[in-house]
Amino acid sequence: MARKSSGMQQASISEFFEKNKHFLGFDTLPRSIITAVKESVDNSLDAAEEHRILPEISIEVYKVPGKKDLLRLVTQDNGPGIPQKSISKVFGSLLFGSRFHTIRQTRGQQGIGITGVVMYSQLTTGKPTAVISKISREGSAIRVNIGLDTKKNKAILSNEKRFSSDEVNEAKGLHWIGDHGIRIETLMKAKYQRGKQSVHQYLKMTSIVNPHASIDFKAYDEEGSIIDEASWPRVTDELPRPVKDIKPHPHGLEIGTLQRLLRDADVPSEGEGANTPLRYFLRHTFSSVTNPRAQDIISKAGLTPKDKPHLLKPDQVNDLLAAFTKVKLTAPPTDCLSPIEDLLIKKGLSKAIDSRFVSTVTREPKVTNGNPFQVEVGLIFGGDLPGDQPIQVLRFANRVPLMYQQGGCLLTKALESVDWKRYGLDHPGGRGIPKGPAAVLIHLASTNVQFTSEAKEALSDNVDVHDEIRLAMLEVGRGLRNHLKKQKQKAKAQEKFELVNIILPEIHDKAIAILDEEPVPLAPVITRIMNAVFLEEKLEWEKETKVTRASVEIYNYTARPRAYTLLSTWPEREGVTMVENERGGRREAKGLWAWKLETLEPGTSTTLTFTVGGLTKGDWSEFDIFFRGAGDIIGATKMDEEILAEMLRVEELEAEEEEVVIDSAPPSTQIEIDMASVETTPEVIIKEDDADGTEPDEGWFGVGRGEEE
Amino acid sequence: MSATQRKTKEEVVENLHGVAREMYKRMSKGEAPTMTLPVRTKNNIGFDEKLGVYKYGAKRSIRDATSLGSARQLLRALHIIEFIEEMIGSEKSSTLREMYYISEAWGHGKFGSQNESNNLAEDLEIVTKCLREDFKLRPEEDGARMIGNLTLNERNRRGEWMRINARDDVGDSGYGVPYNVESEKIELVEHDIDFIMAIETGGMFDRLVENGFDEDYRCGLLHLKGQPARSTRRIMKRMNEEWNLPIIVFLDGDPWSFRIFASIAYGAIKTAHISEYLATPSAQYLGITSDDIEAYDLPSDKLSSKDVEALKAELSDPRFADGWWQEQIQMMLSLDKKAEQQSLAKYGLDFVTETYLPEKLAEIGLGL
Repeated sequence: MARKSSGMQQASISEFFEKNKHFLGFDTLPRSIITAVKESVDNSLDAAEEHRILPEISIEVYKVPGKKDLLRLVTQDNGPGIPQKSISKVFGSLLFGSRFHTIRQTRGQQGIGITGVVMYSQLTTGKPTAVISKISREGSAIRVNIGLDTKKNKAILSNEKRFSSDEVNEAKGLHWIGDHGIRIETLMKAKYQRGKQSVHQYLKMTSIVNPHASIDFKAYDEEGSIIDEASWPRVTDELPRPVKDIKPHPHGLEIGTLQRLLRDADVPSEGEGANTPLRYFLRHTFSSVTNPRAQDIISKAGLTPKDKPHLLKPDQVNDLLAAFTKVKLTAPPTDCLSPIEDLLIKKGLSKAIDSRFVSTVTREPKVTNGNPFQVEVGLIFGGDLPGDQPIQVLRFANRVPLMYQQGGCLLTKALESVDWKRYGLDHPGGRGIPKGPAAVLIHLASTNVQFTSEAKEALSDNVDVHDEIRLAMLEVGRGLRNHLKKQKQKAKAQEKFELVNIILPEIHDKAIAILDEEPVPLAPVITRIMNAVFLEEKLEWEKETKVTRASVEIYNYTARPRAYTLLSTWPEREGVTMVENERGGRREAKGLWAWKLETLEPGTSTTLTFTVGGLTKGDWSEFDIFFRGAGDIIGATKMDEEILAEMLRVEELEAEEEEVVIDSAPPSTQIEIDMASVETTPEVIIKEDDADGTEPDEGWFGVGRGEEE
Repeated sequence: MSATQRKTKEEVVENLHGVAREMYKRMSKGEAPTMTLPVRTKNNIGFDEKLGVYKYGAKRSIRDATSLGSARQLLRALHIIEFIEEMIGSEKSSTLREMYYISEAWGHGKFGSQNESNNLAEDLEIVTKCLREDFKLRPEEDGARMIGNLTLNERNRRGEWMRINARDDVGDSGYGVPYNVESEKIELVEHDIDFIMAIETGGMFDRLVENGFDEDYRCGLLHLKGQPARSTRRIMKRMNEEWNLPIIVFLDGDPWSFRIFASIAYGAIKTAHISEYLATPSAQYLGITSDDIEAYDLPSDKLSSKDVEALKAELSDPRFADGWWQEQIQMMLSLDKKAEQQSLAKYGLDFVTETYLPEKLAEIGLGL
């Protein structure tokens, strides 16, 4: 049977879609709507981030009446909008966009972009997608319907109309979207579902790692009634750090890539480029290659600076690649990464999931195979989370939720490698996902996220990344263990307080009433029952003065006078200060303040309070009290002087490093890496301690920021 | 002071005050208040040669207010004491369940569960050597019913004595035994019978009533309703002592029936503090015995694993230490069978009254 050529083309693009639908994300009807939402939201977030706009995104899903599995999706953002002339490119041509060729962390690395949605809509419904765009510098908005010319892989624009705010006519599809932004309305064959893999869950996860975004979601049934609805408001006005493009780093380069770079070398024909083309090439193509380092590489490869990059023979290319690994290079700059930062992870998690305790950690950026990466982990515990089921694992790569193939993912494997029993979760056989009322968030930020397959849902194995995640897990795990231990101690102390303050007086009153006897003093009885020093601490947010008030009450329920020095942790950092501190005391180390208390007579108590400013509500809600003095205090930990000494040492070293940085100018985040031998800086020593799990039981040093809500 | 001698209201209140006094004394010495009571486990149960029943031994435990749980128990005990005193003063009584609900108003002294309140009431009985009846606390459980030619005086709600003959003045369901069967409530007047037969199931009780067994064999029939209530055991004890009537026990043939018999004859672990008050050491086990299952070829069931467990526990229970019981238990284990009273109906409705019971009673010298 003869086919028309356009039909052939139509068939081929359908075939392309059909063949690749699993990695395009359109392989099943429930997944298709998630993918469409994801492409749209990713675009909105990326665009807003680039233009430094705090994103406001709304997503609406409608079941189309009378049609099975037909959905209408409407998304709208307050992003920069797209100029009229670019609309067809953005929505109409596959793989459009410059970000595919640069190296930095973006969401758009995953998926084929919004074009895929337009294409899927066209293929399953034959209908175009309606786009409204408004850019700030123009007074009017543009409405365009976009179909696809599958032959030319180009957009077919129709119904193009420019309209101002007083020409709005929603019946005709002319919606006003404010000063700037995009509105997309598309029809597609898809199925709306709830559960672990749903639009709702996807948006919830997205909101967790994008605390700077406000996301609204509504789903409607055929009759137009709301069947699902959620709103995740912005919890911070702080936009993710702007990311920079970087050049490839020589370490971890593959031969193919090197060959391509050499072939495409663009070396100027005059000046340095003309005299020493190979050295010029090395210096300008790669990051972290200075003139002396380039010279080093060239001589170790047995080449000369005068060699022409595009004329190197295969053997020479091999030698060059080998030489890369023999030379010590600074790590690539890591400002191309944009971590969420632990405080914001905490806020994001707290707004999405109700829990009692959050512990988060953002590791320092590291490099694997020449690619910078950074790991962040958050653990929440308690609250409404079910206690008898495997914990929730929330996986993210570059702020994009990963919702499928959990078991085969590096992030999951690293989580499973931790012995969670030690940290207070149920972990039968030490294998698989631990059980308990907890959820763990794992975020990998990287310029080059490696997936196990084109489906881009699971990360492939990588020892360096695995180790980093594991260390981060241990850190939040210690936070959890510390929290649980404290909870237990608190509960115990609480019981004793209830006993002596409530029950005992009632026993006394009832007994004298029954016997018609005279009252007896209870203080000696209380001392006898408690026979310990108790400490209770609490943190309160003071709305009016915007400070966090820490109060520590200490009771001497022993028969002897007691004298103590109390030490408290506090979130010391830039912009955070102690406001009130009547007792004075002194700074013992970074984030550790000490007060010498007056002698506590038997049966008496005293209170220590101080306030901390520069924080917002919820930033600080758990702290530790240490003490120096004889005996034990229930509710506080004896100060381990060795740990303190080590802290001070590290602090000193850090201070020195900072000075060096000021002298020699390179950014402080750069880390010297040496492929031949590992240079052990003090920082590294501490991390090895972490890895071995030899941290002291009572240690608070290195514990992830923990808090209770 | 022995428990079998009833106490006056003043004595009861005095004994209860003793509990509060112990707490008060400790507090005035600057110490945590305490409550001293016997250990209530199998390990602290011993045979009292003089009384012929099982009693708590000398082991004492001290509950002191150094933990929140124990302190709460002490507070609850004081609330109960106050509550009992009020009831004694106003001549009211309440059920244990009512007390549990009343405790809702006791603030930190309220009970977490009904079980807690029952146990604490028992603790107080033990410590004060008083009876639940002295405390005006009623159990929820049903008392037994009786049919036979015996006459009692019962004081009714108006405080008047009513004379009741358990054959002529009652319907088919018999005379209902009240929760309190002490002398202030029940007087044993007269009888014209030779023995009391205690029966486990209602079905068998009704069968013997219908067949006129009480008249033919000059006996009183008593329905135990499973594990007998305290008042049921107490009235058997009184009829045994005051009228000198033998107590014959007719139960199913299974391990649980053996236990029912032990609690009637020797005392139960839970109430070992008042065993001499409730137990009738001369009670006799008539059947169904393990031999009966074989001898009468009774329809039977296989023992469950729980049955086997119970039988094995009975082998080491001091109350079943004598040779006859050891034999019966061993036999049931090796037969791997148990049989119900009503399985006798295999041979017709009259078999039990015309053949089985006459034969069994003849064995112990109570035949016609």
